Amino acid sequence: MHTIHEQIQISRHALSRRRFLHTVSASAIAAGAFGFTDLLSLRAEDLRKQGKSMILLWMQGGPSQFETFDPKPGHENGGPTQAIDTSVPGIQIAENWTNVAKAMGDITLIRSMTNKEGNHQRASYQLHTGYVPAGSVKHPSFGAAVAQQISDPKQDLPTVVSIGRPEAGGGFLGVDYEPFVVDNPGTLPTNVGTPVGQDRLARRLEHMKKLEVEFAAKGGQVVVDNHQRIYEKATKLVQSPLTKAFDFADEPQAVQDSYGSSQFGRGCLLARRLIEKGVTFVEVRAGNWDTHFDAESRIKTLSEPVDQGMAALINDLKVRGRLQDTIVVWMGEFGRTPKINARGGRDHYPRCFNVALAGGGVKGGQVIGSSGPDGSAPTDSPVSVPDLYTSICQSLGVNATHENISPLGRPMKIVDGGTVIPGLFA
Amino acid sequence: MRYRFATTLCFTWWAVSGLAANAAEKPSALATARQVDALIEGELTKANTTPAPLVNDDTFLRRATLDLAGTIPTPNQVTDFALDPDPHKRGKLVDRLLKSDEYADIWASYWREVIFSRATEARARSMQDLFETWMKDQLTQNTGWDRIATELLTATGSTQEDGDVALIYAHTGEPEELAAETARIFLGIQIQCANCHNHPYEKWTREDFHQFAAFFPRIQVRPEPDNQGTFLVKSVEAGSGRQAMRANFNPAEAFVRMDQNRDGKITKTEVSRVKFLADRFDQMLALGDANKDGAMTKEEFEKVPRPDANQPGRGSAEHYMPDLDDPTAEGKLMQPVFFVNQAKINTGTDDMDRRQTLAKYITAKNNPWFAKSFVNRIWAELVGQPFTDVVDDMGPGHEAQAQKVLDVLATHFVNSGYDIQWLYRVITHTNAYQRKLRTSDTGEGAFAAASPTRLRSDQIYNSLTSILGEGLVPQATRGGAGGGAAQRYANQGGRKGFGNLFGFDPSTPQADIIGTVPQALFLMNQSGVSHAIRAAGRTRLVTLLDKNKDDHDALSELYLLVLSREPSKSEVELNLAYLTSVGNRNEAFEDILWSLLNSSEFITKR
Repeated sequence: MHTIHEQIQISRHALSRRRFLHTVSASAIAAGAFGFTDLLSLRAEDLRKQGKSMILLWMQGGPSQFETFDPKPGHENGGPTQAIDTSVPGIQIAENWTNVAKAMGDITLIRSMTNKEGNHQRASYQLHTGYVPAGSVKHPSFGAAVAQQISDPKQDLPTVVSIGRPEAGGGFLGVDYEPFVVDNPGTLPTNVGTPVGQDRLARRLEHMKKLEVEFAAKGGQVVVDNHQRIYEKATKLVQSPLTKAFDFADEPQAVQDSYGSSQFGRGCLLARRLIEKGVTFVEVRAGNWDTHFDAESRIKTLSEPVDQGMAALINDLKVRGRLQDTIVVWMGEFGRTPKINARGGRDHYPRCFNVALAGGGVKGGQVIGSSGPDGSAPTDSPVSVPDLYTSICQSLGVNATHENISPLGRPMKIVDGGTVIPGLFA
Repeated sequence: MRYRFATTLCFTWWAVSGLAANAAEKPSALATARQVDALIEGELTKANTTPAPLVNDDTFLRRATLDLAGTIPTPNQVTDFALDPDPHKRGKLVDRLLKSDEYADIWASYWREVIFSRATEARARSMQDLFETWMKDQLTQNTGWDRIATELLTATGSTQEDGDVALIYAHTGEPEELAAETARIFLGIQIQCANCHNHPYEKWTREDFHQFAAFFPRIQVRPEPDNQGTFLVKSVEAGSGRQAMRANFNPAEAFVRMDQNRDGKITKTEVSRVKFLADRFDQMLALGDANKDGAMTKEEFEKVPRPDANQPGRGSAEHYMPDLDDPTAEGKLMQPVFFVNQAKINTGTDDMDRRQTLAKYITAKNNPWFAKSFVNRIWAELVGQPFTDVVDDMGPGHEAQAQKVLDVLATHFVNSGYDIQWLYRVITHTNAYQRKLRTSDTGEGAFAAASPTRLRSDQIYNSLTSILGEGLVPQATRGGAGGGAAQRYANQGGRKGFGNLFGFDPSTPQADIIGTVPQALFLMNQSGVSHAIRAAGRTRLVTLLDKNKDDHDALSELYLLVLSREPSKSEVELNLAYLTSVGNRNEAFEDILWSLLNSSEFITKR
């Protein structure tokens, strides 16, 4: 909300009035009960203290439900993949997921996700924003929308972090909610360390600030003010002791080992470290799930680091008392076809796929919905993308129907439609 | 290429008058500029406002070079320009820049960003280079804006060979997205709000929007066989084989043909020889097989939505407006109608006739939106603010500031034959372009002063290259996890990688472009930049300090190099004091160069 405050300050351009509206519920303003600033500080009080966060484990390419959490051994659609028991009697998952099987007590599996987008880009966008793509408006990612609602504006670290580059960013919510992209988890991110040392950097910044005065007086005032604001944020990040969270040097080796040495596993560990420092939304990405051929053998390889990292994350969050406030969501943009194709692969299938959820009040050890004996369609409790996001909003204490105003003045809810998935929460 | 006459075209008043009225004399750029000045200054005088004074030569040179060549002038160019006694040197500079390769480069990159920033198909970004090359050719030849628009709207071909398929590929040929983007880019009208409901602020209805979309349904964007990653943009026509079957699909007739055993029902086996039905029969059963017997009666079959209705990029015979209460229904058949003047053609018209006709409607001389939207964009880029609040949302319900100026420019632009370079000449000749930035002393009033604008990614990249030397601008991004298209594009180096960090949608209002933390971090800390600004090794700074032993001289050269101007007296004093306080010449100059590169002035057109 800090951002709004700043934007009020920079509102010499009539246009930036639109920006205020982006971040404030139109109906609340219409109600006229509060001035902008009253409203904002009230909301800030309410929301910031909750300390809720979300970790999205994104399986880029569309993971097969049959080789993950909805195996069909014995049916021809199931292929050669076997099912294994989990720590919860009666729930079986695919054989590659031995670590997740042990953590099943904390996990809800949804086997009846259903959607229509079978194109990677469109579906990835939709599963990241809750909206299908439209050229006319850049929807904010769900992480951005949530961060804008509940993140602590005073903190040094970015509110939205992505390990690997995601398909959606801040959208019309603007640069404050663009994901901060980390390429190599475990080390300080690109350009955050200063090559000249803190003292000399401070000296340079001070000199630059002095030199800017003249341009400000000659018509650049607004530009200089904005620039100063961005540089203050950047400097805060460079100087913040919290950036240590990016560096695993102080993490016990045993904990590091439990997550595994893969990029994904290290990403999961970074996600935990960041949410502990107040980051609202972290996305950890695992690529190459687009298994059009040799699905069984390829998914075996793909599953291994994800199984280890995901299970370690859930366990670690639990041990450290953060699982209740952190919702962990495992998903990709769609599922795969029930029938195995001629190349031993599976193609895109949005009609029925699975999602795994843990933490954030989600009831553990249960399965919601079913894909029927052949996996072709949800046979009960179908769950749509808006249903899923409305439910996640509930976990995070965010009002899913909160309306942001798009740049063209169109009110857009954080989630358009959808109801909370019955039985998801304990 | 590809010009054919639309046989089913209903000739409209403006299509006719457009053919007749072509005799207007090409207006003089200079006279038009003076006319614009008179209009603006007349209004300012009425409002008792004194406009900001005109800029000096070095500021004009920097503005014009950034605008028309996408980079900053070199120190030599600044000096030469200042010393040139020719009273017409500003106009001559503009003429020279318009002939340069860099002019075509920077504006091709502008249009690339206009189109691809809103792409709904991320893979389309893989043809950005191809589009830029095509666009660059058009700009070099000074192809008229009407021709360029026509090419983009009527393009067919391969995403690996034909740059003009960019707009269509960016939206996979999807009629509703193409309708929205066509209106936004070529008319400055945001009609897509009427996609789902009547437009809240404008007069357009849902019907208007979907009738407009009905110009595009027969576009097909399909993967090219045996050429992975390449797509073909073509027309689905009622002419041959399977496509004819699709385009002319009549459920009643088809049913009779397919019901081979004449039992009044069709099954999957019976439709198997018609591939496009066989592929979707399960889906049709799911929607239409009321009694779930795995077969469809004639009645069921006729009710079920056409298998090819509104299938983005697949091409279908006609466009249907979805029924909001029943999304599985076929929707309402839409006749292609141009919402601006209600000119229409018949359903059943083939793809190329539809698109050619639409291009004619759009580029017709009597369609005011086409010229105005282009003028508004170029004016906004050059002068710093558009006539309307948002450059691509012009109305009709929105009021423009200095409406008369916009009207005059648009009218003369039409009479110039949509001559793009002519428009640049006019605008750069106006006083509005040449005024100093608005300060607290400037009075209110439209275009009484210039507005600072954020440089686009390519302008910053080219400027950095000009300052640090070729090859010294480091990679802005590098590899990482996650895979996927977004990641691949992010991993490009050079100008494009830089664009991933510093790029923005050029249709964004200036007030909303405030920079990002990663951009600041890059200029502050990036190891390559850091290396390139050292006063050691073979850097520009080393040469500069070597040639200029006197600190004041060195400062002047450094300011010329980075900011294309001499430092002011107070800036000299500040920097000399800094040199003294640091006590190490090299170190202090590194810090000063760092400060100038990180200053807001460096990334701003002032």
